Amino acid sequence: MSSITSDARPRRRFAGGRTLPRIGALLASLILPILLVALWQWAGTNGGLFGGALPTPDRVWTAWTKWAFGTPGMGLNPYSGTWAESVMFSTIRVAKGFALAILIGVPLGIAIGWSRLFAMVVDPTVQWLRPVPITAWLPISIAVFGISDFGSIFLITIGAFYPIVINTTHGTRDVEKNWIRAALMMGSSPFTVLRRVVLPAALPSIFTGLRIGLGIAWTAVIVSEMVAVKSGLGYVLWDAYYVGRMDIVIADMISIGLLGYLSDFLIVRVEHWVLRWRRLQSFNT
Amino acid sequence: MGTVSMTGVCKVFGGTQGVRALDNVDVQLAEGEFMALLGPSGCGKSTLLNILAGFEGQSAGAISFDGKSVRRPGPDRGVVFQEAALLPWLNVWQNVIFGPQVQGVPRADYEPRAIEILRVVGLEAFHKSLPVQLSGGMRQRVGIARALVMQPKALLMDEPFGALDAQTRLSMQQLLLDVWQRFKTTVMFVTHDIDEAILLADRVCIMTARPGRIVRDIPITLPRPRSIDDLLSPDFVRFKAEIMAEMRGVH
Repeated sequence: MSSITSDARPRRRFAGGRTLPRIGALLASLILPILLVALWQWAGTNGGLFGGALPTPDRVWTAWTKWAFGTPGMGLNPYSGTWAESVMFSTIRVAKGFALAILIGVPLGIAIGWSRLFAMVVDPTVQWLRPVPITAWLPISIAVFGISDFGSIFLITIGAFYPIVINTTHGTRDVEKNWIRAALMMGSSPFTVLRRVVLPAALPSIFTGLRIGLGIAWTAVIVSEMVAVKSGLGYVLWDAYYVGRMDIVIADMISIGLLGYLSDFLIVRVEHWVLRWRRLQSFNT
Repeated sequence: MGTVSMTGVCKVFGGTQGVRALDNVDVQLAEGEFMALLGPSGCGKSTLLNILAGFEGQSAGAISFDGKSVRRPGPDRGVVFQEAALLPWLNVWQNVIFGPQVQGVPRADYEPRAIEILRVVGLEAFHKSLPVQLSGGMRQRVGIARALVMQPKALLMDEPFGALDAQTRLSMQQLLLDVWQRFKTTVMFVTHDIDEAILLADRVCIMTARPGRIVRDIPITLPRPRSIDDLLSPDFVRFKAEIMAEMRGVH
């Protein structure tokens, strides 16, 4: 942070704050998806995609509307009207696993970043377990928790935990030394320093970890539902594949993408609100 | 209250083969005395201040503040940092009351004092601004207010105006003269600016680098209260000539 203030502020190339450019940005973001869908439809109707292995967008859309709004029941279409339920199952698992990952990852990251002794004892183990992919945890998860929610939540927590703990550690280590000194000089206890200086100072890094962690949480929930639970979008995905319903498979994939996008959007909103002080800073320095 | 006694203070960085940043430094400060520690960069003057503040430990020697050995930082020694070191997520008011707040001082006790000090440093209209919205000089005034609100027995100032432009620096020096005239705390003021040292201090201690030592201790007898107009007085120029001669010999 420089204390020299300058009147020459960097001009923003996109004024996201105004209504008109915001609509423009929305339209711009839709160009590529519309082109892709159009290309996909065109390829499908002119000779079939990969010999008819993949359905066209209109069929996916029909399947999706049935899946979402059809009457539930075990008739000819077992998916009819079950979309919301599947979305809910997956979302709740992600929420639980992600919350657990935050509850463990943030305090642990702060402890590793704050105490050299704690880092020496704990950090090597974390770094050594980190390369193990969540898919490799599947057998253990099923052996311990069986076919249950806990197995899925366990995998999500493990997946989201690493980026959260690592980014929190970095954020904690990088806290400006003089902020801590100032707080100590003003009579803060070590705990007060952690709560009122280190935690807020590390929040930008923590949020980076949360965003990466949330992405992994969605991967983990789909993987676990494909194997270790009998509900949710991941289960439907694999089940639909087995019975040859590629229209449902694709509708499911798009649903996952939307949910991931939406949850990331939520976190970014929270981040913007919590780190208001930082937005000002980026314009001034 | 606010007396400082440092005897035989040594600081070695980087083990036994390391750099001798401070070599047998002796400093005594009486109550309410304004001492400027003057020297080139890297001479260890900031290290001496950090040791008195309790941020760093000494390698040898004894440091006591009001007769008690210094071990850790505390609100009896208010520190003003070079870059203010305000907490960027707190506004001016929250930064200023941070000290009393974490010490558990009742609100009714610190609030009037904080309002008064903000008025003294001329920032009452900016109490809701974030540090980043302030100029460098204003930020440093918050830094001074934050230290004063704790009613410290000593102020330790580490080149607080070093990063400011010449104009702002002058007005900050005037402000500090006025503030000191009013609160009369003991001050240890680290600077490499000869004018600043003479203008502000009762005593100028000149330090040399490698090893860091205090080579001269010059009393500044300019009458108080002072103002930045004193920078032009014949007495001032005489002190400046004396110090410049001393520092030329040092290099």
